Amino acid sequence: MTFSLLHATDFADRLLYKIIPPLKAGMIVLADRYAFTAFTRDVTRGVDRQWVRELYSFAVRPDLTLYFRVPIDVSLDRLMARRVKLKFYEAGMDLGWSANPVESFRLFQGKVLDEYDRIVEEFGLEVVNAAKSITEQQRLVRDLIARQLLTNGVEAVDEQPA
Amino acid sequence: MNSPPELPPGPTEGASGGIQAGRYYGRSIPYLPIDGYPGKLIAIEGTDGVGRSTQIQLLREWLEVKGYGVVETGWTRSPLMQPTIELAKSSNTLNKLTFVLLYATDFADRLEKEIIPALKAGFVVLSDRYIFTALARAGVRGIDRPWLRSLYGFAIAPHLVFYLKVDVETLIGRVLEARGMDFWESGMDLKHGDDIYDSFRAYQNKLLREYTSMADEFHFRVLDARRSVDRIQDELRRQVESFLEPSEKSAEPVLVR
Repeated sequence: MTFSLLHATDFADRLLYKIIPPLKAGMIVLADRYAFTAFTRDVTRGVDRQWVRELYSFAVRPDLTLYFRVPIDVSLDRLMARRVKLKFYEAGMDLGWSANPVESFRLFQGKVLDEYDRIVEEFGLEVVNAAKSITEQQRLVRDLIARQLLTNGVEAVDEQPA
Repeated sequence: MNSPPELPPGPTEGASGGIQAGRYYGRSIPYLPIDGYPGKLIAIEGTDGVGRSTQIQLLREWLEVKGYGVVETGWTRSPLMQPTIELAKSSNTLNKLTFVLLYATDFADRLEKEIIPALKAGFVVLSDRYIFTALARAGVRGIDRPWLRSLYGFAIAPHLVFYLKVDVETLIGRVLEARGMDFWESGMDLKHGDDIYDSFRAYQNKLLREYTSMADEFHFRVLDARRSVDRIQDELRRQVESFLEPSEKSAEPVLVR
């Protein structure tokens, strides 16, 4: 609960200082993770699904949300290949499901992925297959964003002073 | 056709509202079921300078002499959040929404780490301020009231809520005598003007209205805090006693001070 609220506090601060002002100025804001992270991570930690959604109801609904979906094995391989030590909370070690970080990661992230599957439809996330190559993913991402900008009539602004 | 089975009424179900003392107000903390915990939660509410801490100290001593285990908890006293809150208040970057969430985080930490374990162990928990302070302060600052109530849905409804009520005139006198007006207590962040006295007056008036509007909703027991410390304490003890020991009749004088 405290974990969830601490993240929400941080999110509120960033929303009000880093997200809303550029939106008002007509800029494009790229958010690396958003409230959906909380919907999956906090619920996996046992927080009420509806409560956390209501908590974040002050958030701006994104025009486009991309969800990079990847099987656990692939994400583990990638993390291990970079020889990153699994982070305590990332592996859900605080939940005490397993003393082994890799095993705990599997269990925890498995549940997180289940929650993501739930919200894909609920919030209309665009799923990107993140097991593909970076180039393929980037092409798809550019495509999705271009379409989004077109439908919203967003145009590039010439920043050169007159 | 079978008629539906008759359900016995809940043991603590109130006639109004459906708030049940000792239960979560709204959406619970799913991993912390609290049903049947033997402890009792007593909240003492009221604005700054109303004499809450004095009353709690006296009440605590009295309860302990009577043999109860007592735990105290107070607003922004979470070891995790207190330094952060102080730091945030000292800078100028604190937005009212962030403010509200910082308080809620502090409260969640104390609820999980102090209040719920104490209730489980059968303590009487005396809470110096409760969520009503947060609701009042945020309400005055224009935060959406239904959202606030949903946010604090994980709070436990106290068995008793005492609201120490004063008027602004009395409050001003007490605060000036004690330590003077401070920036936050005066609502200077609301930018009503540069004059701290006018701001204090306007802000505390609004706060008092917020508390009053919550009195029915949350079953406040309103005490007139303009009276002497002893008179208020007498009243508190009488009500606490009749709640904790409904059948017993106390032969000793209530005030032993």
